[in-house]
Amino acid sequence: MDIRLSGVSHFYQQTEVLRDISLEIPSGRIVCIVGPSGCGKSTLLRLIGGLERPSAGEIHQLGTPPTDCLNPLTYIFQDFALLPWRTVRGNVSLVLEDHGIRGKAAAEIIDDVLARTKLSDFAEALPKQLSGGMKQRVAIARALAVNPAVMLMDEPLSALDSQTRELLMDDLIALWSRTPFTAVYVTHNLAEAVRLGHSIVVMSRRPGQIREIVHLDTPLQQRGLGNAEMDEKQKYLWQLMRDEARAADAELIDV
Amino acid sequence: MSELSNQNEMHQVPFRGGGFAPTARRGVGLAVFLLLIALTELGTQTGFITPLTLPKPSDVLKTFGELYSSGLLWQHLSVSLSRLLVGASLGASVGIAVGVMIGLFSYVRAGLLPLVAALFPIPKIALLPLFVIWFGIDEGSKYALIAFGTFTPTVVATYGAVDNVDRGLIRMGQSFNLSWWSIVRKIVLPGAMPGILSGLRISLAIAIILLVAAEMLGAEYGIGAYILEAGSLYDLERLFVGVAILSILGVTLSACIGMIERRLLRWRV
Amino acid sequence: MISLNRRKALALMGGTIAAAGLSTPALSQGRKITVGALRFTSHSASFIALQRDYFKEAGLDVELKFFQASTPMAVAIASRDLDYAVTAMSGGLVSLADKGAVKIIGGALSEEAGIDGQKYLVSDAAFQAGVTSPAMLDGKKYGITSAGSSFHYMGSKLAQKEGITMSFKPLQKVGAIIGALKSGQIDAWSIVPHIAKPLAGSGKVHIIGNVSDYIPDYQVTTVFTSAKNAADERGMTGDFLAGFSRGVADYNATMIDHAHGDDGVAAMVDLIHKYVYADRPREKAAKSIINGTMRLNEGAALNIASLQDQLSWYQSEGLAKDSITLDTVVDASYVKTLG
Ligand SMILES: Nc1ncnc2c1ncn2[C@@H]1O[C@H](COP(=O)(O)OP(=O)(O)O)[C@@H](O)[C@H]1O
Ligand SMILES: [Mg+2]
Repeated sequence: MDIRLSGVSHFYQQTEVLRDISLEIPSGRIVCIVGPSGCGKSTLLRLIGGLERPSAGEIHQLGTPPTDCLNPLTYIFQDFALLPWRTVRGNVSLVLEDHGIRGKAAAEIIDDVLARTKLSDFAEALPKQLSGGMKQRVAIARALAVNPAVMLMDEPLSALDSQTRELLMDDLIALWSRTPFTAVYVTHNLAEAVRLGHSIVVMSRRPGQIREIVHLDTPLQQRGLGNAEMDEKQKYLWQLMRDEARAADAELIDV
Repeated sequence: MSELSNQNEMHQVPFRGGGFAPTARRGVGLAVFLLLIALTELGTQTGFITPLTLPKPSDVLKTFGELYSSGLLWQHLSVSLSRLLVGASLGASVGIAVGVMIGLFSYVRAGLLPLVAALFPIPKIALLPLFVIWFGIDEGSKYALIAFGTFTPTVVATYGAVDNVDRGLIRMGQSFNLSWWSIVRKIVLPGAMPGILSGLRISLAIAIILLVAAEMLGAEYGIGAYILEAGSLYDLERLFVGVAILSILGVTLSACIGMIERRLLRWRV
Repeated sequence: MISLNRRKALALMGGTIAAAGLSTPALSQGRKITVGALRFTSHSASFIALQRDYFKEAGLDVELKFFQASTPMAVAIASRDLDYAVTAMSGGLVSLADKGAVKIIGGALSEEAGIDGQKYLVSDAAFQAGVTSPAMLDGKKYGITSAGSSFHYMGSKLAQKEGITMSFKPLQKVGAIIGALKSGQIDAWSIVPHIAKPLAGSGKVHIIGNVSDYIPDYQVTTVFTSAKNAADERGMTGDFLAGFSRGVADYNATMIDHAHGDDGVAAMVDLIHKYVYADRPREKAAKSIINGTMRLNEGAALNIASLQDQLSWYQSEGLAKDSITLDTVVDASYVKTLG
């Protein structure tokens, strides 16, 4: 299932947040969106996921999601959004219960996703007992449980320290290599973008517009640390973004 | 400065970080309590405190013993507890329901919030004669007074707690296509539970206060009636027995909520 | 220290004079005391004695303090904020006397055969259901202010004599009882005639009996003071009772015996109207004041038999300690005793 945005603009009251965004998100690919803070990345993701309606333009799904897909457009949040009163297992089970999946069928799915995210030993733990990286893995497991057609990730690693971030990026790459999934990955971290993105959408400061789309052809598995080509791309992206970031920063001070 | 200082002189860095961090000191509260009672006993025994001022604690204990052995303690306590139970559970459950609705529906909020704000400051005791006319002089008016008194603080605590539920969690629920009812049941209610329970603490204390007020009108038995009777007879021993029973009741209820909190809110950090 | 000595000296002087005779004017000029009163006709003796300078002539500079109920009045005596007051011998008063705080020193109002006294009332609902005499009150709800109040006593004596049982509903205030009776929440009550008659006139309440039929020679209210005044201020207490008794004598002569004709009644109603029903026009108030006329105890005489009966009843109900004797509660040395 692909997603196509055509001429999407968005306003909050009089504030124009997004202007004329047209974008193609092809199936089985990870599209990264980078841009200075406040440029409308999160807003764009909310529009794609149907949590908000765009002021203008249209967002289409091309094709139908596979039949075993319970929730085609599934989010992974920066702050994990786990229910603190439910165990790891309970948090995953939450998103299955409404589809009438209980008992053995649910247990099978939960065990599978927990195994894929290396959480099998922590099924009965409460979120407060987990580290940040583990919490985000629970959120990923929860997303995997509904077999999403597209994963919408809003800075999923920003709340984590850099070592944990490296480890989780490896995990995500491993997951994608096993079964490629479609994802829109919002980040302000260029290193993440060049590690995970098949294409990288660079946005301008508010009102957010697409400045450039950078394509990376190196397979994800080969993009380890110290890869010269990746450094090159990252430097190029930083040049694109620096002026925007500086201007955006000054704008915030002016307010 | 540094040139002038003597390199050979050595001081320990003075500690300045003490205080301002209360830690648990078990038994101190009990000791203060016992000391006060002992002082009162001493004062009343020596006549320094006249019998008109305070009763002898030992006489109060004796009076309590008599109340217990006569079987009247249970008679008073059972009617009071059932009034408290019926009134408070009625008020609290309706209060929670209304509070959740105010928290969830804009129209209910717009319609009921001013009403609740208007009802809150009314001294409920002032309405007792009215309740007697509406619900009868027997149990009805007593249930109504206690229910009404617990209702308003419960509503306020509940909708505040619902407002404070992490919007991110609700958004997460929506993003996974959970039904409205699932979101309320599995996200909003558990998320509001800490606020509801701490509101319940206040509501139950108010319920105990109102119990005495409710038993002002037409109650032959009950801890409140017992206290009022003792007051009108200037029977300080019985008055203090009654007050002590109320305090114990308050402490017990508060401990019960504490237990519920520990069970229900184990997930809290 | 000086003032204390003066006080003592004055008290001594007063004592000598009081011994010489109750109505002799005292020489202890201008002694300041406070007297508690309710705005009821039954407190008229205090109003008359103040207005007609009987207290002044007894050497006392009296300040009246008004209360809403007799309970706080008794507390004010115990705390020595008040010197003298008039109220029923309630369980609370007995308890305060037992604690050495107050003492009854005289009588104020008694039930007397042949003179209109307190009434037993029933609600209209009960009346329509056939309760037309006190004997039919078996199993009914009887309104009282609190356990150990005079209402409780009157209801209980009725039940005793008729051999019936009633449940007594404490409602704290007279106003609350009236409301409950009118709306049929309770079935029966007893009250002084000037409240009973207008209530019965409204048709929501019916008079079904006289308290005097069940409690003959019932001493309804008494004059009381702090135990300290009774024991150590004999002169001042005697002076007070002297002034008070002149007020009683005036009241009985004018209002009951009509010794001064209708003009006398009118003048007295004017005087009382300053304190009682002051918020109502003179015409309406006059009717209520005349309606409420009951014979006050001449010379503040005490009815020991009645007081003993009341004390025994409190004790039998567990509302007063069994160890209390009438001597603890009453100082009968000041006035004549009856019965
Ligand atoms: N619900 C909202 N109402 C009004 N303004 C909003 C809302 N959400 C975001 N904005 C504004 O829209 C702009 C873009 O926000 P956002 O999409 O969160 O930026 P980013 O995620 O790129 O940092 C910001 O200026 C922000 O203040
Ligand atoms: Mg954002």
